[in-house]
Amino acid sequence: MEKVNPMQADPSPVARPKKAEPWKQVSISAVASIVLASTLPIGIGLLSMVLGLRFEIALLTVFLPTQLLLGVLAGRKISGRRGQADAILQVFVVFFAMTVVVLLVSVVWSVIERGSAALSWQFITQNNVYISGSTSLEYGGLGHAIIGTLLVVALSTIVTVPLGIATAIYLTETRGRTRSTIRTLIQALSGLPSVVAGLFIYAMFIASGLTQYVGWAGSLALIPLMLPTVTRVAEESLLLVPQELRNGALALGSSAWRAFYLVTMPAAKSGLITAILLGIARIIGETAPLLITTFAANNTNYNLFSGSIATLPTYLYTYIASNFDTAVQRAWGAALVILILVAILFIAARLLTRPKAAKKAGK
Amino acid sequence: MPENSAPTVERRSLRAKPFSKADRRFFKTTTIAANSSIVLVSLIFIFLMFRSWPAFESQGIAYIFGSTWDNSPDNFVLQIGPMLWGSILVSAVGVMLAVPMAISIAYFIVFMANKRLGKIATVMVDLLAALPSVVLGLWGLLVFSPVAAGWAEMLNEYLGFIPIFQNSSGNFLRSPFIASWVVAVMIVPIIASVTREIFSQLDRELINASLALGAGRWSTFRRVIMPTSSSGVVGGVLLGLGRALGETVAIFFVLNLVFDINLFNVLEDKGGSVASMILAKFGEAGQEEVAGLMAAGVVLFVVTLFVNMVASYIVSKAQPWRK
Repeated sequence: MEKVNPMQADPSPVARPKKAEPWKQVSISAVASIVLASTLPIGIGLLSMVLGLRFEIALLTVFLPTQLLLGVLAGRKISGRRGQADAILQVFVVFFAMTVVVLLVSVVWSVIERGSAALSWQFITQNNVYISGSTSLEYGGLGHAIIGTLLVVALSTIVTVPLGIATAIYLTETRGRTRSTIRTLIQALSGLPSVVAGLFIYAMFIASGLTQYVGWAGSLALIPLMLPTVTRVAEESLLLVPQELRNGALALGSSAWRAFYLVTMPAAKSGLITAILLGIARIIGETAPLLITTFAANNTNYNLFSGSIATLPTYLYTYIASNFDTAVQRAWGAALVILILVAILFIAARLLTRPKAAKKAGK
Repeated sequence: MPENSAPTVERRSLRAKPFSKADRRFFKTTTIAANSSIVLVSLIFIFLMFRSWPAFESQGIAYIFGSTWDNSPDNFVLQIGPMLWGSILVSAVGVMLAVPMAISIAYFIVFMANKRLGKIATVMVDLLAALPSVVLGLWGLLVFSPVAAGWAEMLNEYLGFIPIFQNSSGNFLRSPFIASWVVAVMIVPIIASVTREIFSQLDRELINASLALGAGRWSTFRRVIMPTSSSGVVGGVLLGLGRALGETVAIFFVLNLVFDINLFNVLEDKGGSVASMILAKFGEAGQEEVAGLMAAGVVLFVVTLFVNMVASYIVSKAQPWRK
């Protein structure tokens, strides 16, 4: 009887071949061709600019073709004929994506650069009485417009948020018959031209003589614009709550309302708050409906229910096309203030959604 | 009565009804809130129609196709043909410019970038979506217009033999070309976010299978990603189109509104946009003219609502995971 000692059976196991993981090997020539293909076109493009070509022409007629050609050659070297098409795809994707980035950076940077010149304590606290386009920047500001924006947006938020979140609940928590209709309608409403929303309120209240230009009309005009954003984000966050949680609550004997109030809503809380914030961010810069319903004012008006009221977008609008430098600077300043408000809302929304993701990653 | 009537069991209805008072109130409130959006849309339509009826009645069908806007009392003619065509032209060119950018950035985020870069790019797209149109209008007027006018001049210089790029006035500012670029910046994030969501929900196994079979990026894109996601992407593009058609303030600053149809000369400094026209005329409009502007609002509302309905129907069909 032979007893094989497992330790002795294979004294020298076959060594793992060195080339066991071919995908991990780096071929020097491939790396070199990638590096060359991604740096050489930039160099040639810059060279052609030095030689006197305009930037746009150099970009489109020198850089892009060279980049495509070299990309194709490199792709061919690394993975044969298939590599060519891949290289073309990648070059175009990166090129167009960079275009978007450049446009965005251009917008944000020009607002920050030019707006910060106008920004000062007095600019964000004083109002616009006795100020014309040529008044020096040391006088006047948009304090009245900040107050107006906050008031108008607050009123529309108070009306829209319950409406939007209740609609989201209807879409996710109930089995109502009109759900798909309403989902389509809400999605379609998100493309409602803002000027039409303003015309609607004008037709309903102002043209019929019920009121003059007034703050609450502006708030009402913003509702159809805010509603789709709130509803959709809230719906999404409610959909993220696992169905097991709801079923568990119902199986334990809770009523639908209690299951929602004690289980689903707390689970989706940060998403619901995000919905509110993004809804506010959506309407805080809306101009056209406010021009038609609230008009612009120069004085500070704390009352939404009488008199016209200024808001940041309408302030920006009135100064935008002026020939005076200071007026244009005021417009940039207003743009910067709007951008800062949007950024605050955005960062708050991000911070609210982050803990969830962090927890998930930790598990 | 027949003899063999076995006691048949009545069919039970399987519908549960809310039994507690709180539940009934809960369901009733949400139902009312949700259906109020239907009421809202019909209210918008009814009130705009009511106010604009005089204009439709006096102008007839020529309101949409004619091209004169004259508010002097003795020769009162309101027609929005050039504006309507201008809106379509600007939106179409804008969509053409936006689609490659949007799809590229979505493809980059989902399939090319690593997690961190993808996250940064997503935030950037969201930020672009949050830029108010009046800020974009300011940027378009003071920063972008001069640059884009330079591009337009070059296009005219080198490609001027193509009729589209002809320009007779020598003025390249305030043209549909520039307005289309500004509109494109506005709708890139809309198309990109829909496309990104569709791309990221694609079945990863399909893509991995394609890669494992030896397909490269391009053949995977062409043969796997495009066929499975094209309908959703088309929906996203239509959503962007709806937004472009309704864009008001940004276009108002960068486009010359002229009541003379500009068929396709995108570099010519005359164009039209229904929404911007409403804004431009509203300040000084008398009562009858306001009716005409309301009618323009009705046209805009119907067109955008239709485009968006189709778009959201397509998108929701393409996203079966959202049920």
